[in-house]
Amino acid sequence: MIQVENLVKRYGKFTAVDGVSLDVPAGEIHGFLGPNGAGKTTTIRIIAGLLKPTSGRVAIAGHDLASEAEAAKGALGFIPDRPFLYDKLTAGEFLRFHAGLYGLEGDGVETRVAELLGLFELTKWEGELLESFSHGMKQRLVMCAAFLHRPRGVLVDEPMVGLDPRGARLIKDVFRQMAKKGVAILMSTHTLEVAQEMCDRISIILNGKIIAHGTVGELRAASGDGDEELTPVFLRLTGGSGFQEIPDAL
Amino acid sequence: MKHAFPYLLLPTFWAARNRARRREPGDALRATLFGGIGIFVMVSIFAVVFWLTWQLLDYEELGEYLVRLGLSWLFLTFLSFVAFSAIVTSLSTFFLSEDLRLLLAAPVPPDRLFHSRFARTVGQASWMVVVFMVPVLLGIGMVRCAGWSYYATIFATIVPFVLIPSAFGAIVTLALVNIFPARRARDILMLMGLLFAVTLVLLLRFIRPERLLSVQSLPDVTAFFATLQSPVTPLFPSFWAGESLFTALQGGVDGLHLGALWTTALALVVIARAAYHRLYFVGWSKAQEARKARFGKLRGLEVLARMLPASPASRVILVKDLKVFLRDTTQWSQLLLLVALVLVYLYNFRILDLDRIPYMSGLVKNAYAFVNLAMAAFVLSAVAVRFVFPAVSAEGSSFWIVRTAPVSMRLFLWSKFWTGLVPVLLLAEGLTIVSNEFLGVDLFLKVLCAAAVFFMTFALVGLAAGMGAQFPRFSAENVTQVAGSYGGIAFMILAVLFILVEIALLAWPSSVYLWHQFQEVPLAPRHYLQMAVAFSAALSICVATFWLPMRKGVRALESLG
Repeated sequence: MIQVENLVKRYGKFTAVDGVSLDVPAGEIHGFLGPNGAGKTTTIRIIAGLLKPTSGRVAIAGHDLASEAEAAKGALGFIPDRPFLYDKLTAGEFLRFHAGLYGLEGDGVETRVAELLGLFELTKWEGELLESFSHGMKQRLVMCAAFLHRPRGVLVDEPMVGLDPRGARLIKDVFRQMAKKGVAILMSTHTLEVAQEMCDRISIILNGKIIAHGTVGELRAASGDGDEELTPVFLRLTGGSGFQEIPDAL
Repeated sequence: MKHAFPYLLLPTFWAARNRARRREPGDALRATLFGGIGIFVMVSIFAVVFWLTWQLLDYEELGEYLVRLGLSWLFLTFLSFVAFSAIVTSLSTFFLSEDLRLLLAAPVPPDRLFHSRFARTVGQASWMVVVFMVPVLLGIGMVRCAGWSYYATIFATIVPFVLIPSAFGAIVTLALVNIFPARRARDILMLMGLLFAVTLVLLLRFIRPERLLSVQSLPDVTAFFATLQSPVTPLFPSFWAGESLFTALQGGVDGLHLGALWTTALALVVIARAAYHRLYFVGWSKAQEARKARFGKLRGLEVLARMLPASPASRVILVKDLKVFLRDTTQWSQLLLLVALVLVYLYNFRILDLDRIPYMSGLVKNAYAFVNLAMAAFVLSAVAVRFVFPAVSAEGSSFWIVRTAPVSMRLFLWSKFWTGLVPVLLLAEGLTIVSNEFLGVDLFLKVLCAAAVFFMTFALVGLAAGMGAQFPRFSAENVTQVAGSYGGIAFMILAVLFILVEIALLAWPSSVYLWHQFQEVPLAPRHYLQMAVAFSAALSICVATFWLPMRKGVRALESLG
């Protein structure tokens, strides 16, 4: 459903993304992990259509992002890490605006808007300006917008940032339900517990290259460790913790 | 914190230094243009003041009186300006600045924070006044061959003079924020300021100062001076500043008024600091609270948009843009100034009495029609650079919403174009038709100008929307910054060139036609050919000016990233 082939992004001499390939089939939650500056957000932004790749191909639901941009984007829901919205619109107006961008019209829009606002516990805020929303509320509203047009693929950059435990639990449940219904979810995150708990498969990126991918079990085997937790596996694969320097620094 | 308060101003200086080191495209052009305009204005002010003071030397006592009155008026005007500016600036420096959270969380003694913020307020609120006041005072001093003590008094007067309204402004703001939330207070102040400016513009125009130049109104001059004298009260710091400088001009030292200035300035700073201790933290806390603002639902816009023959995406972009514009006081309130300028513009044509030139009135009227067309086009360029050019940049950090949606950049930019075109076209046609009616120009020119302004509006709005997409500033804090950016200035230069070429292409064949009509001589076939070629060239340039930037703008948006 979300296919990425040999993606390369260069900024002058610096290569931010170096031949990344990913394939997220329908119904899969795919974790995309990596340390800061590894190329995660650049890759996510290219798949969302916000950055032009130097080379490589992205396809959403079989539509090439370069040649059939509108069809590809129409099949995708994007949830960025920082929810910049139009402060002078209300939550309801923002969702109706979003529906219009995705070509949705008619009475169905109102029903869908009410349904999603209810699901994300924002119904009583429907008529309030977004400038009065907290970060977490904006994040939940962006999720409403991303699911409004019933996308076949969802792209999420750091889904849990700014959410309270109740909100985080809600998002996890929503993602699981959507995956069950056949939606492909590609999720970039730093929260390894979330990745371990939710993802069917995981890809780890370092210095712009995918250095490991597979299920959590396969990654454990690849790291040559019998650890139950994903954190030590991730640290080993991405070059150690560097913790020995901390006592001196303190 | 061990350091004295200027330490807290270091980030501002470092940021300015880093900005100066890291040049961006267009910086040189912008610096040359704005610097050139600034120097030109300062030199002009100096020249005008120098000339006026020189003329007044011939009138001895009356001249002395007028210089004294002029100084008081100058300081009174600047006093009100700095006071208002300080109220608005204090909101920003004391309550809305991004770095305040960092500073308030740090162990910074309150006095030092107050002094650093107050220093920023004084600098930001008064630099422009000081820049324009200096050439005036230098001009007066040089004509009157003033000694060094006059120039020392300028410094000794200006410092307390700007401290007084700045401290007053800070006190008012500290009180205001305890009544209204900071952001709402800023909206209210912006609106008040604009209303103040609008009233001033209208008042100054409608009292028709040009009547004073007429010999018949000479008896009114005494009454005029009496009116000028009335607001100059000895209780105002502006009077003290004027008197101090006037005494210094004559070689003396006015210790009383200088003392009054300094003691008042220092007392007000102390009061402002006390107000800060008492009111600041409560006000700051209020400013942080989320508010439920009152705002218009504007449902009528959605109903109107549904009637338009456009795609759902175009309709929702239109509705979104209009709602965001109408709910943002800082944006829509600028329309008030525009309305005032339009009224003054039309009023000028209404009172223009060209029939006083008996033989040439017809010719002058027709020539004025082209001046009017050029002026209307300049007005609409100014409107376009302020309202249409920033349309793409106004998406700001929220642009990801449109870019990740299945909406082509062509549709997006054309939505921006149509949203800008309709109001600008109505304004341009309204201005041209009404002012030509007031002028009483020939019917041929009325039709020609109305048609010309129609196509020129398409061209200028297309140029503004297209160039706005080619040179976006998504990180700009407000639309004024976008309008003053490299792209905005480039747009204005191109717009002026376009208008001049268009006027030349329209005026030349029209003058040939009107001349033959005036002489009652039929036009030769070659004249018709020349007219057709000139009008076609004007139309072609309009189409190119509209089409090419739009195409380039779409490509620029498509290749973003």
